Amino acid sequence: MNLVENFDLYAPRLINKKELFSAGHRACSGCAEVLAVRLMCKALGENTVIASATGCMEIVSSMFPTTAWEVPWIHVAFENAAAVASGVEAGLKALRRKGKVDDRYVKVVGMAGDGGTMDIGIQALSGAMERGHDMIYVCFDNEAYMNTGIQRSSGTPMGASTTTAPAGKVSMGQKTWKKNMPEIMVAHNVPYVATACPSYPLDFIRKIEKAKSVKGPSYIHCFSVCPTGWRCPSHLAISMGRLAVETGVFPLFEVENGHYRLSPDMPKKLRPIRDYFKAQGRFRHLTDEEISMIQERVNTEHKKITEKAKYLKTGNE
Amino acid sequence: MNKFLMSGNNIIGEAAIRAGCRFYAGYPITPQNELTEYMAEHMRNAEGGVFIQSESEVAAIHMITGAAAAGARVMTSSSSPGISLKQEGISSLAACELPSVIVNIMRGGPGLGNIRPAQGDYFQATRGGGHGDYRTIVFGPATCQELADLTMDAFDLADKYRTPVMILADGMMGQMMEPVIFKKPKPRQYSENFMLRGAGDGKSKIIRGLILDAIDMEEHNWKLARKYEVITKSEIRYETYQTDDAELVVVAYGTAARIAKGAIKRLREHNKVKAGLFRPITLWPFPETQLRSLSGKIKDFLVFEMSTGQMLEDVRLSLQGYADIGFHGRPGGAVPTPAELANVIARYYEKKD
Repeated sequence: MNLVENFDLYAPRLINKKELFSAGHRACSGCAEVLAVRLMCKALGENTVIASATGCMEIVSSMFPTTAWEVPWIHVAFENAAAVASGVEAGLKALRRKGKVDDRYVKVVGMAGDGGTMDIGIQALSGAMERGHDMIYVCFDNEAYMNTGIQRSSGTPMGASTTTAPAGKVSMGQKTWKKNMPEIMVAHNVPYVATACPSYPLDFIRKIEKAKSVKGPSYIHCFSVCPTGWRCPSHLAISMGRLAVETGVFPLFEVENGHYRLSPDMPKKLRPIRDYFKAQGRFRHLTDEEISMIQERVNTEHKKITEKAKYLKTGNE
Repeated sequence: MNKFLMSGNNIIGEAAIRAGCRFYAGYPITPQNELTEYMAEHMRNAEGGVFIQSESEVAAIHMITGAAAAGARVMTSSSSPGISLKQEGISSLAACELPSVIVNIMRGGPGLGNIRPAQGDYFQATRGGGHGDYRTIVFGPATCQELADLTMDAFDLADKYRTPVMILADGMMGQMMEPVIFKKPKPRQYSENFMLRGAGDGKSKIIRGLILDAIDMEEHNWKLARKYEVITKSEIRYETYQTDDAELVVVAYGTAARIAKGAIKRLREHNKVKAGLFRPITLWPFPETQLRSLSGKIKDFLVFEMSTGQMLEDVRLSLQGYADIGFHGRPGGAVPTPAELANVIARYYEKKD
């Protein structure tokens, strides 16, 4: 689907025209996360219930008394998007069994940011995945707590300067590596895990559709560029996402029942991460040494994921 | 003495570091982010200072439990929903008798509410908040200068009574900028006996909150209760403003007291009502007898809070029916102007006559 010729001609026909996340929300200009949410809603369709954690997407979309959501949407607290989603799923199941709601298939989706998924929400998420609820969990990873003002999270990459991990004479900013959330989810043995980025919209939509068709829990890790928090020009949001993939910082892959597959969008040869770091203010302070240290890690991680994809192929390939 | 112009959140941070706080664990939540950010930046300048951004509020409170057991001066901060998550830890800090300072920059609630200043956490703070039979000392600062002073005092009281102390400010106090003078902190007085410093030759030290035997637990409860009695006797702080010739006394704390002060000035300028202000600075222990002594000559009290009436109950308990009590509340993050409150007070007073 991604290799269609005459892309501009065919692409719009492949996407649901109905907008389920309407315009007029309060996201910053150039927000790639809100684009990802919009594409996700298009892919999910109307038979969806979304449970959302606190975060930018909740704040910008649901300022009382207005709302951008055109699907049922619930927001409770910060740490429990997965728990609420599993409750909704179990409740719907019970009602359907009793014949109290009509018997149509409704997909339950939990969504949260990187803080709400990797830090405070990991307990609820792990529980939901282990219990095997029929739901999709989408993590919109913009690599820090952007809603409260760019505090570091465990999704913040090495070397990024944030307000609680500020770079200066002594510190290079964030001093730990990004938590590898997709691998943690793979370790839960869920049927479908994928990483995606709205800079590759068709790939993203296909992955959401696939997750929707899977019976059981699935996890999608969506890399969403935040020009405000990353301190890059807002018109570069989409190209930043592409650069993250092209430099190997964020590899696009999917894991179906333990079988890894790299997305066709993944480049054969990686670009140097310097290209990706150049436009972002949060990496501006990094020295050549630090950049080459990060480059090394990116290379190793990329090698690891390629190896996995090579040796753990599905039967039909 | 040097004067600094700082915002409330930063003042708490600076005062804590000056008072010798060497461990701070925080987690982002509006409107206290500036405090976490201040600690991230300045804790490393303090000798031996450690800042940790935890993965959740629950982790933060238990991190300070650990650090307090090790003997450090510790602080954590959050805003209303985050404090709810911390309650289990606060209860356990009280049970284990560990000195700690918890800052609550209140916002509108219940649930996630909003991020505007409110005073809806009064019950939670003054009644203990978590499970079990315990109390925490609660300060309700009303000016930035008081934020600085009370933060320093909070550490001293926490050490003195080996108990968690809460600073109950709201979003307005946290975000507001005022000039402050930081006082010279007192040297720390905390016995080495309560610090866990690894196995040695001496007697073993145990810090725990789990006491399975009912009789032992009862004794522990009574021990805590005796401690709270001492605190109630000796640590009460309050402020009165123009109560000498007052016909009506407004009872308010924190931001609400600032607004009330403005309203009272306005009322006296226009010769409408001779009003005064009673402001509890320690919300627990509540200045009960001090408030009751006012009821000898003044028979009209008006409680003003940015909630639907929580301190109102403490005022009722204190006055014991000796005077009439009116109430005005603006919950959910709405902050009235002094002019609005002046009108409310005048109307209430006129209606009474």
